Amino acid sequence: MRERLAVAARGNTDLLALAALLLLVLAAYQHYDSSLLTPASITILSAQFLPLILAAAGQTTVMLLGGIDLSLGAVLALAMAVFATYEAQGAGGVLAAAGLALCVAVAAGAVNGALVAYAGLPPIVVTLAASFLWGGATLVVLPQPGGQVPAGLVDAYNNGWNGVALPAVTVAVVLGLWRLLRTTRHGLALYAVGGNEHGAYASGLHTRGVKIAGYALAGAFTGLAGIGLAVQTGSADPTIGAPYTLNSIAACVLGGISFFGGVGRMRGTVLGALVIGLLTNLLLFTGISPFYQLIVQGVILVVALALKTYLTREAAV
Amino acid sequence: MSSLALPTSRATWAFGVLAVTWFAAILFADGFDSVSNFRYLVQTASFLGIVAVGQTLVVMMSGIDLSVSGVVALSAVVCAKVASGTGGAATAVLVALLLSALVGAVNAAGVVWLRVPPMVMTLATGTILAGALLVYTDGSPSSAQVPLLDTLANGRLLGVPWAFVLWLVVTTVAFWLLHLSRTGRYAFALGAGEDAARASGVPVVSTAFTAYVSCAVLAGVAGLVLLGFTGTSSLTMGNPYQLLSIASVVLGGTSILGGRGHLLGTVGGALLLTLLTALLTSWNLSEGVRQVVLGVLIIGLLLVYARERRT
Repeated sequence: MRERLAVAARGNTDLLALAALLLLVLAAYQHYDSSLLTPASITILSAQFLPLILAAAGQTTVMLLGGIDLSLGAVLALAMAVFATYEAQGAGGVLAAAGLALCVAVAAGAVNGALVAYAGLPPIVVTLAASFLWGGATLVVLPQPGGQVPAGLVDAYNNGWNGVALPAVTVAVVLGLWRLLRTTRHGLALYAVGGNEHGAYASGLHTRGVKIAGYALAGAFTGLAGIGLAVQTGSADPTIGAPYTLNSIAACVLGGISFFGGVGRMRGTVLGALVIGLLTNLLLFTGISPFYQLIVQGVILVVALALKTYLTREAAV
Repeated sequence: MSSLALPTSRATWAFGVLAVTWFAAILFADGFDSVSNFRYLVQTASFLGIVAVGQTLVVMMSGIDLSVSGVVALSAVVCAKVASGTGGAATAVLVALLLSALVGAVNAAGVVWLRVPPMVMTLATGTILAGALLVYTDGSPSSAQVPLLDTLANGRLLGVPWAFVLWLVVTTVAFWLLHLSRTGRYAFALGAGEDAARASGVPVVSTAFTAYVSCAVLAGVAGLVLLGFTGTSSLTMGNPYQLLSIASVVLGGTSILGGRGHLLGTVGGALLLTLLTALLTSWNLSEGVRQVVLGVLIIGLLLVYARERRT
């Protein structure tokens, strides 16, 4: 038993350290807000964290492929704008709006992926240029903050629907699907192409197709995050996406996703996103000006990466 | 590696596309044939160009600086606040530039000693700067009339905008640094292959510090000129320069992976982007459509001449 624990721990030191950090943050949180573990509080928190968790899941998918998505915030805002604008004027109700927003986000991701796979442009350049493109498209759809989401849906999402925390269920379903996907050919191909592109190609994988599918999947995650954010806030804001680019990268980095692709677990990313979200809330409780949030987020990112690099370097020697 | 001569390939492409676009603009758009318009174009291109020259130094050693937007705002906001307070104009400028240099040094330290990837390190410092400026100004930055900066941004020397003269001087010094000095050769070597460069004794620390500090100081200079241009500072005034400075470098034919390219290409890239923006503005397109078109144009141009060789 003890040996098995030791073996399990050896492969997951990152995750264990992160889980310990999360517990520490939770303990501090409990100190300020003793209602933390009640269903009502869980509903509110999961409603608040869903966009970040799903955005980070999208960033993880791209990073596992060895890329980086600097247009993530723009795509998120685009999906949000499409969802809320269609909702305000279109036929077919919420489902049609959500479907359309998801399609747009997946298409945006696929375009990013195709440019990376076929054009021979580095991911950072493609997604940087694409952030102009998708940011502009968002402004075309929705020049000013606006749009509308049915009040019933907003209420059900933020306050629970018959006692069920909808956002938590959504995240669980999405993660469950990812878990299934990871064991299929497609999921394994994603890791293989990210880990060693030449090797993957030599083993008969259609590496370009895998990349496009991966970026499209990231688009789907990001689109869901945008829809979630629209439902949470009840409307859309074309400029709200920017912080999600940095925070999604931060969550991945905390969660142990490698910049070089092929290494990392989605559960790490989720823990990372939770830590970032809870820490941000914690700052509000302590009464420090919200202006300090940005400083803390930046510092966490640097400290996490530096510590990780330092520790792994020691282990390698 | 002879890095002095303008390589025939990609940097010249930037100037070729620039010439064609300019010609087309004169033919098909209103007002692009006037001297005053030309003068205004090179003046506004200088703001972007100064940042982009610094960005080139960093990109060449396969780094990237995503904190330039923060530094532009930092230098303008701090200078305005100090100048409108007790300090004189000279003190204000000095403080702003010193703080900019400090940010560059922090970036370099993180990249070299903490081994944080440049993109994350500079994204993080940029975020920290944005937060620090919010705290410093309490959300409402001040405006200031600094005569020296006003002249620098709006004045002319024999009909040539001072801002453009400053850009030329900056470009000349950076050209020497990157293409003629030993540090520049080290930067190219680091960009071409870091491990090999380290093994052959390239001083990584001093090269990285030179590149990142120069880049940050130039972003600071751009912030000061912008402060002189508009007379006010704002927390978001640097935002356009983050993406556009990198786009200028890449459109100028420099590889984003480092080690290949030419500083003068960046000058062409910055002029090209400024011209394209001015053209789109002259067509009265909405902000959103303008961004979409600019994004498509950048991607299209990159596809034409800035693709990485597949390895």
